[in-house]
Amino acid sequence: MVTMVFLTVANLIRVRGPDEYWRKRRIFRLAAHYIGRRRNCYSVAVRNVHRALAYVTKARQLKKEDMKDLWNTRIAAACEQHNITQFQLKEGLDRANILLDRKSLSNLASWEPRTFESLAAVAKQKLELDGFVDNADKQYPTGIKLNLKDVMLEAWLKENKK
Amino acid sequence: MSAAKRVQQWATFARTWHVFDCKWQDPYESANIIKKYLMGLHKPIYHPLNDCGDVVVCINSRNIALRGDDWRQRAYFHHTGYPGGASWTLAWELHNKDPTLIIKKAVYRAMKGNLQRRHTMERLFIYPGEHIPAEVQQNVSNQIRQIRRVPERLDHIPEEEVKNFPKVMDYPENYILK
Repeated sequence: MVTMVFLTVANLIRVRGPDEYWRKRRIFRLAAHYIGRRRNCYSVAVRNVHRALAYVTKARQLKKEDMKDLWNTRIAAACEQHNITQFQLKEGLDRANILLDRKSLSNLASWEPRTFESLAAVAKQKLELDGFVDNADKQYPTGIKLNLKDVMLEAWLKENKK
Repeated sequence: MSAAKRVQQWATFARTWHVFDCKWQDPYESANIIKKYLMGLHKPIYHPLNDCGDVVVCINSRNIALRGDDWRQRAYFHHTGYPGGASWTLAWELHNKDPTLIIKKAVYRAMKGNLQRRHTMERLFIYPGEHIPAEVQQNVSNQIRQIRRVPERLDHIPEEEVKNFPKVMDYPENYILK
């Protein structure tokens, strides 16, 4: 009897080892909850398991994005009730050194609405103190009220143009 | 669950009926506002699987205002499914046939196409005029703010008010169109 002996490294990669039963069993364990040939037939099962594992890898990131979207929606809804935008809330709380993330804020919005109301009030007050107007650091215009007769000649205004 | 908590639960998940006046409003901008209330996106308890949407009653859908040249330019597509069954209806034609359809289609298109959309649309009532049936009106408890102010027409303002309105100067007679 002649046994094949691979001497080059490239060929060694193709040798999958003697424990075929255990290798297949590992796949079948992951395919246990499938139905039909997808769980009983190895060549079908392994394709589906690999695809499922790829989905799981992607879903780990997608789940985080979905949750972030949901929290954003909830915070936006709560902000609207208190007449403040989500951006203003975040900016105000950051400046007041209240470092709450989206998850905590949305939890507070649904479970402790009064706490959220206070936070919104704090943010609004802080922005007012900092002179944060129209989403930018600037002050309300000061000075005397513009009057038409200050910028135009009174004689001209009273003149009858007919 | 205590009695107070139970009532709080009811109050949280109860449906509110909103009324929205479409008079002089852009249907495609209003659709985004209406959608928000229909789907419950205005509540901090929102979840896609959570049945927290409200009911919206639109009135005066006959008096909507389309942008620019849209009454003549915008076409609504319909296909009967048979060969040659395609038809394009202009916005003004559609509005003449059914004054509620433009706003209905605008809200329908504003929502994402999923199984929930048709059920959500069931909670939208549209009336062409100001009249709402009594059984609908008795539920309404909130009004949604309009996006735009309804413009006031000069010929609808009483003449005396126009005459007494303060002005900077009188135009020379040569400048007034006869």
